[in-house]
Amino acid sequence: MSDSDASALTSRALAAIGQAQTEGELGRIEVEYLGRKSGHVSRLLSNIGQLPAAEKAALGKAANETKRFIEAALAARRAELDASRLADLAETEAIDVTFPGPPLGRGHIHVLTQIRRQIETVLESLGYQVELGPEVETEWYNFEALNLTAGHPARESWDSFYFSPDLLLRAHTSPVQIRAMQSIKDPPIYIITPGRVYRRDPPEATRLPYFSQVEGLAVDNGLTVGDMKGTLLYMIQSLYGRERKVRIRPSYFPFTEPSFEFDVSCGICGGVGCKSCRHKGWLEVGGCGMVHPQVLRNGGIDPTQWNGYAWGFGIERMAMLKHDVDDIRLFYEPDLRFLEQF
Amino acid sequence: MRISYEWLGDFVDLDGITPKDAADILTRQGVEVESLTMVDLSQIVIGKVLEQVKHPKSRNDLWVHQVDIGSRVQQIIAGAPNAIPGALVPVALPGTTVPNGRLVKDLNIAGYRASGMLCSAAELMLGEDHSGILILDRGTPGQPLSSVIPSQAIMEAEVTSNRPDCMGHLGIARELAAGLDRPLKRDFMPAFTGTAEPPGRDLVNVSIEDPDLCSRYIGGVIKGVKVGRSPDWIQRRLRAAGVRPINNIVDITNYVLLEYAQPLHAFDLEKLEGPAIEVRRAREKERLLGLDGVVRELTPDMLVIADARRPVALAGVIGGEDTAVTNLTKDVLLESATFSGPSVRQTSRALGLRTEASARFERALPPELALAGARRAASLIAELAGGAVHRDWADVYPRPQEPVRVNLRPALIDHVLGTHVPLEESESILRRLNFHVKVMGDGEWDVLPPVFRLDVTIPEDLVEEVGRVYGYDRVPPTLPGRRHETWTPLSPSVDRRLDDVREVLAGAGFTETWNPALVSGARLEELRIAARAMPVSNALSDEMDTLRTSLLPSLVDAVALNRDRGRIDVRVYEIAAAFLARVGEKNAQPEEPLRVAAVISAAASAEAGAETLRALKSVLDGCVAALSAPTCTYQRAAAQLFHPGRCAAVVLDGRQLGYLGELHPTVTAGARLEGRLVAFEIDVEPVLAASRIPRAQPLPRFPAVERDLAVVVEDIVAAGALLLAIKESGGELLEHARAFDEYRGAQVGEGHKSIAFTLTFRSPERTLTDAEVDKVMSEIRRGLEKRHRAGFRE
Repeated sequence: MSDSDASALTSRALAAIGQAQTEGELGRIEVEYLGRKSGHVSRLLSNIGQLPAAEKAALGKAANETKRFIEAALAARRAELDASRLADLAETEAIDVTFPGPPLGRGHIHVLTQIRRQIETVLESLGYQVELGPEVETEWYNFEALNLTAGHPARESWDSFYFSPDLLLRAHTSPVQIRAMQSIKDPPIYIITPGRVYRRDPPEATRLPYFSQVEGLAVDNGLTVGDMKGTLLYMIQSLYGRERKVRIRPSYFPFTEPSFEFDVSCGICGGVGCKSCRHKGWLEVGGCGMVHPQVLRNGGIDPTQWNGYAWGFGIERMAMLKHDVDDIRLFYEPDLRFLEQF
Repeated sequence: MRISYEWLGDFVDLDGITPKDAADILTRQGVEVESLTMVDLSQIVIGKVLEQVKHPKSRNDLWVHQVDIGSRVQQIIAGAPNAIPGALVPVALPGTTVPNGRLVKDLNIAGYRASGMLCSAAELMLGEDHSGILILDRGTPGQPLSSVIPSQAIMEAEVTSNRPDCMGHLGIARELAAGLDRPLKRDFMPAFTGTAEPPGRDLVNVSIEDPDLCSRYIGGVIKGVKVGRSPDWIQRRLRAAGVRPINNIVDITNYVLLEYAQPLHAFDLEKLEGPAIEVRRAREKERLLGLDGVVRELTPDMLVIADARRPVALAGVIGGEDTAVTNLTKDVLLESATFSGPSVRQTSRALGLRTEASARFERALPPELALAGARRAASLIAELAGGAVHRDWADVYPRPQEPVRVNLRPALIDHVLGTHVPLEESESILRRLNFHVKVMGDGEWDVLPPVFRLDVTIPEDLVEEVGRVYGYDRVPPTLPGRRHETWTPLSPSVDRRLDDVREVLAGAGFTETWNPALVSGARLEELRIAARAMPVSNALSDEMDTLRTSLLPSLVDAVALNRDRGRIDVRVYEIAAAFLARVGEKNAQPEEPLRVAAVISAAASAEAGAETLRALKSVLDGCVAALSAPTCTYQRAAAQLFHPGRCAAVVLDGRQLGYLGELHPTVTAGARLEGRLVAFEIDVEPVLAASRIPRAQPLPRFPAVERDLAVVVEDIVAAGALLLAIKESGGELLEHARAFDEYRGAQVGEGHKSIAFTLTFRSPERTLTDAEVDKVMSEIRRGLEKRHRAGFRE
């Protein structure tokens, strides 16, 4: 065994490594040369014990060098093979990425729930609290407390379903306003009252005997029509975009004075008039007004000290405006083909 | 209410104000103009019919006319026979678009040329009549039709129920006058012109039996009238407002109704027995033949006008045919009365008969208006039908209208509106609306509303009057904000907290539905869940006559609906209240438990049902976990709607929330559904009440040891009971136990089953040794042997 043996071994190994094409071949070469017991390099040293000390040292050094050479060559060849494998990925592992995935099967939250959530989120950001109340109400909370006494000509618009002369399905969520004033007692009161309501109108594309409302009520001191207008504008712009405008138009409700209808500028024509807003430029959304002093009194609030404003609108109407739904009945017909669109 | 723009010009100068301007002002002030129809008559020419012959070849009834249109003679074919030679008619020449939108073309009809069209009132948008050609009273051939009939603009307006005064053109004109700050050219109360003897009150005996239902009745007498056609302008205006002309007397009553909003009625005085007028409730079995030719049976809650013998009119709703004014009528009794709104509404609804009159009375008219209307009609009758108006009419007025004064601190206007309106402007607005304003020494205003404004009673009403004319678009939007010393911290609503449940359900593939709370009571009976149902007493239909006691039937229907539309696997849920009457408490509001219910469809096999049930249980557990409430337990139970062998009560902290299970095959079959349905319905309020903010646990520092255990027990032993026993014997070292497999068959013997559990052991203080775990395992085995006579498989 001599230096030349070592160098021959090195060049053999390097040649083999150079020709290796796979990791497997490199593995075999590694074992063949560097294997602990029977590798060529180990065998070089097999009879080192019988050599004189000087030769021993030289041989040991030569063997170590050989080992280092081979290790370096293996690592270099491995890096080469890796690089060429990664370079070929585009061909070797290509798949049809346009092939559609399997259906996720996710369920959908009802579009009216989504709209209700959005409205609540916007108004909560102004400090309003959500208040809920019973759907089966007493005549007093539903009508009397709101100045809608029996025989009042305006009662026409709130034709209701009765269980007995005193018990009915609420025609609006306004009874919750009265209940909230009674329970909160001390203004400031800033609440919204989402919920289901019922009116005795036969079902058609634009109205149903059951629908959902969000009403709002603010009781504080020194509230103004301007404050009400600002609140509605903030809400509408937050929901539909800041280019929208709000118009309040005098109207009549027995529970507010002054009373208004509020309109939102048409999102399609921007207010100049088109087919979808029937050339009005405005879309009717709901009613609003300054709370009638008698209604405050009915809620236990002193109208000489506090005043308030209130508004109400249908959640379905808001959803129809937002998503271009043209038939209100779709919301209550549990057709997944509709519900899964949102 | 239909408003004729041209008519408004009688009362207010509309110079420079287009119909569109007027509509915008009205809408801004609270009379919403919903549509504006422009009728341009300047393109239509007046023609004179020279010759009319029947079309010889056409099988339809067609007439060939030669019409002089000034410059030349046109040949025109028409289907109506009334354009006889000499008649003046409206002609639309080829190339013209008539007001109803039709474009006229040169035509050839069976060999005859038709160069233009003769127009009906309907085609010109001048009325509803399309039965014949509109025949003109006057005009010169060749001149535009607008030379005799001004171009029209018709506004359809929605008048709110507090403003009966705006149900007439005068009231609408007053709004415009106030908005434009131009004078109103007509006083509210016309002068009285009756002078004929004897006094009218001696010619008819008027009495009111029930002053609650009729606060005033004026009966005016005009003798010697000549009944005939009304002049053209009256007919035109009636048509424009949607009223059909009849004869001059009836037309004048309608004209005044459309002008002043006071309904009137004219009786043929000679046909009234007595002659007397009694305003009273109808008697049992009385009947009335109405002007519409319908005989109606009356009931004692209806108010009638009767003569000495019988009802002659339904108060405020419709007149009677027997006493109506005809071409032979000489003497007229003119009724101008004030009937109670609720009474008229009730009668009109009971009979399903809504008239121009009832629509006005329903809004509660002021009694002072009755006098104004009566005077106006009397002078028109005298002017247009001749006749002598007698002096001193019968005027029974048991409850005279009291003037209401309102004190206003003018600063309130700025305070409510949130902007500064100069005092002079506020005062001017009120005056323009005919309010009298007296400024008191202390600066307060003493305001007297006009007699026709019964709706104004409190200071806020006056603020509204000022605000709407001042213009709400001039009020700047602001957000309220001040330094509050008290507040309520934000707490999410019950429904909002359930959004966490919605997210779990959406992730599990369930879609939310909103279903009507009103359902068929018969269906609830059939399903035997009607015991606490609340029926509606005035339902619209049988399909919606009762409040639902469970959300599940709606969800079963939802599955059926989607199956019909081709969907096989359906997963739906709803979050809503069920309604449960309180037993034994009549007139009490029901319980309204808020519930979550879900339904999932499964294949028809028993195994599929069982597997789906377990899957749905995981979904329910996930919902409860999302609310950070303790885990529910399940106990075998029986419940309506559910399969008797596959139903569990859902229990939380010892309280039953509802049920989970397969729906009963009859429920599924009842909805014509194939396969099985698995469902749950639980009350959510107890879950929310049990919800706790999760507390972080230290992460485990030592490894866990897992062991499987196959337990063989008799068939009737429930997995839930075994788990309970395992947990009890497992002690603190048992971290978790889970059942993962169930086996029946030869290896375990008849009447037995094997349930496999995975048990996880861990100590927070050390790594457990096999010996320690073995010890606990044998405790668990002993417990199971003792309590459930369990055996074990290796």
